[in-house]
Amino acid sequence: MSIIEAKSVKKSRKFSELEFFDNNSEQYFLLPFKFHRLNTNKEVLVNEVGDLLVLPTGTVSRIVNRQISKSLDFELYGDLLANFFIAETQIPPLIDVLATRYRTKKSFLDRFTALHIFVVSLRCEHTCHYCQVSRVTQDKGKFDMSWEHIDKGINLMMQSPNEYITMEFQGGEALLAFESIVYAVTKVKNLAPKFNKKMNYVICTNLAVMTKEILDFCKIHNILISSSLDGPDYVHNQNRHRPEKNSYELTIQGIELTREILGRDRVSALMTTTNLSLEHPIEIVEEYYRQGFRSIFLRPISPYGFAVRNERKNKYETEKFLNFYKTALNHIIQYNLNGEYFSEDYATIILRKILTPFPVGYVDLNSPTGSITNVIVFNYDGAIYASDESRMLAEMKDYTFKLGHLNTHTYQEIFYGEQAQKIVECGINESLPGCADCAFQTYCGADPIHNHATQGDMFGYRPTSTFCQKNMEIIRYLIELMDSDKRIAKIFESWVKPRH
Amino acid sequence: MIHINQIKDGEILVFANTVLFSKDAIFKCLYWYGDKFHTNVSFADSETYCLSLKPLSNASIKQDEINLYLQKLERDLIDFQLRDTIVRETHNVRDLLVAKAFSNGEFDEDPIGLISDPVGFVPL
Repeated sequence: MSIIEAKSVKKSRKFSELEFFDNNSEQYFLLPFKFHRLNTNKEVLVNEVGDLLVLPTGTVSRIVNRQISKSLDFELYGDLLANFFIAETQIPPLIDVLATRYRTKKSFLDRFTALHIFVVSLRCEHTCHYCQVSRVTQDKGKFDMSWEHIDKGINLMMQSPNEYITMEFQGGEALLAFESIVYAVTKVKNLAPKFNKKMNYVICTNLAVMTKEILDFCKIHNILISSSLDGPDYVHNQNRHRPEKNSYELTIQGIELTREILGRDRVSALMTTTNLSLEHPIEIVEEYYRQGFRSIFLRPISPYGFAVRNERKNKYETEKFLNFYKTALNHIIQYNLNGEYFSEDYATIILRKILTPFPVGYVDLNSPTGSITNVIVFNYDGAIYASDESRMLAEMKDYTFKLGHLNTHTYQEIFYGEQAQKIVECGINESLPGCADCAFQTYCGADPIHNHATQGDMFGYRPTSTFCQKNMEIIRYLIELMDSDKRIAKIFESWVKPRH
Repeated sequence: MIHINQIKDGEILVFANTVLFSKDAIFKCLYWYGDKFHTNVSFADSETYCLSLKPLSNASIKQDEINLYLQKLERDLIDFQLRDTIVRETHNVRDLLVAKAFSNGEFDEDPIGLISDPVGFVPL
C-alpha cells in the first residue's frame, strides 16, 4: 500500500486479515540497531529505543546479508519485524510510534534539573578515609553555608523549568547545620506553591547526631533520610572513622529511631565500596538484609581520590569491583529464588532502562549527561558545581566543573553558559568514540566528569575507561543472566515494577 | 598477491581487502586495541590494508596471548564491518526517527506512518 493510499484509507490498529500482509515478499530493509557478543554462543541486538533480542552468534551477519527468510525463519523474522530491527518498507509503517518511544526515552530533557544539592556544611565529626571534602572543625563561619547563599540557591532552584524538585541537604555532616536546614525548608515551603513546585526534601546524614527533635521536624515536613551503611561493624567502623570507633552502632540506632518516627520507608542507606568492602560481598548483603532493608546499592569505589589517573591500577580495581558486584548480586538473587524480595539498586536502574520504555533519572547513566541537566550543587561557600563529584574535584584544586557563584551568576549564565554547554557536549554517548557503535548505548550514559577525573579529558578514551569497563560488563552480565535463567528474568521484572 | 594474517616478531599483522572492508570499520575496530597495542594501518598494496598491533611495553601481554588477540582482531574486524553496513544502510531512517522524536509537530505528517491511529483510539 502506498503512502498516499494509506492517507486516504484511515486505518486503526485493529487486527487485519491475513491477506493484508504480504507473505510472499522476501525483501526486507534494515532499521538502525547495534549488537554485542554476549558470550561465545549468543549475541545481543539492541534497537534505537532499547528493545533487545538475544540470538545465536552469527545471526546479525545473516540479517545484514539478507539470509533471513520470511518463510523458513518465520519466528525470527517476526521477532525482528515486530521489534523494529527490520522493516518491509524503507520507512517502517510505525515510525511515528518508534519516534514517540525515542522521545519518551529522552523525556528527562524536557523536565530539566530536578536535584538541587545544598552543601549546608563541610563540618563533620567523622574522618572517613575516602572522604576528600569534610573538615573536623567547630568553625561554622568558614565551613557552613550562609543563609544569604541559601536564599540565593533557593531563588535559582525556583527558576528550574522542572515542576518536581528535590532539595537535598549534604555535608560534611548536614545535621551539624540543622538550623540552616530548618531555615531553608521553612522558606521553600512558603515559596514552592507560588512557583508551582512539588518539593521533595532529603537529608543525607551519617545519623551520628540524629535526635528525636530533628526527626519530629522531618516528620512534619515529610523529609526523607538518606544514611550510610557500609556493611557489618568490622567493615563500617573501619571505613568510617570516629574517635570513639562507634559509627556502626550510632548508624543502626539512628536507622531504628528514624523508622520508629518517620516510618520504615522513609530512611534509606547507601554503601560506599572500599578495598576492605571488596573482600566481604556476602557479609555486606547479609548485613543489609539483617537490618531490614530489602534493597542495597552496590556503589563502586569513587575515583575522586589519590592516583585517580593511574589507568592500570584503575582497571585492576574495576575488575576487583566487578567480581565483588557479581558475587553480591548472585547472593541477592538467591534470596529472591528463596521467595524473598530483595533488590540491587544499580541493577534495577539498568533493568528499568532495558525493560521499560521510560527514562531513569539517575545522573550517572544519562545521555546527555545528568550533570547540570539533572543535578546542580550549591557548595557551602556559594560556588556552583555541575555535580557532587565536581565539588569533590574542586577540593582537589580542580575547578573545571565550577559553573559560577551564587553571588555573581544568573540562572542563564550557570545552566546555559559556555562551560555548561561544553560539559554537556562531551556528555552525549550517541556521538562519543566507542559509545556511538555500542549496543549498550541506550542503557548506559556519559560522564564527562568521571572521564576528566580519571583520564584528564572530558570526552574520555573508552578502551581504558573504568566507567565503560564497569557498565559494559554489568549490562552484559544482567542480560546474560536474564537469558540463561527465566526465573532470574522474572525476578528482574519484579524489581522494575512500581512497589507501593 | 595473497597476504596471510600472521604474528611476526611479536607483532600482529592482519590484512583486509579495501573493497570488502571500509576505512571507518577498520579505524573503529583498532580504536579498541589502543589500551594494549601500538596500532597502525597502511597499504600492503593498492587493494589491501595492512593492520598491525605491536604490544605496548607496559601491557604485559604473554606470548601465548598474542594468538588469541590475532583471532580477536579477525573476529572484531568482521563485526565492525557489519556495524558499518548497518549504519550506512540505516542512517537516513535514524535521522528521520530522531528528527520526528525531537520535532514539535513539523515532521509528524511527512512522511506519515502507514497507520495514523496506532493505539486504536478511533473505532473503525
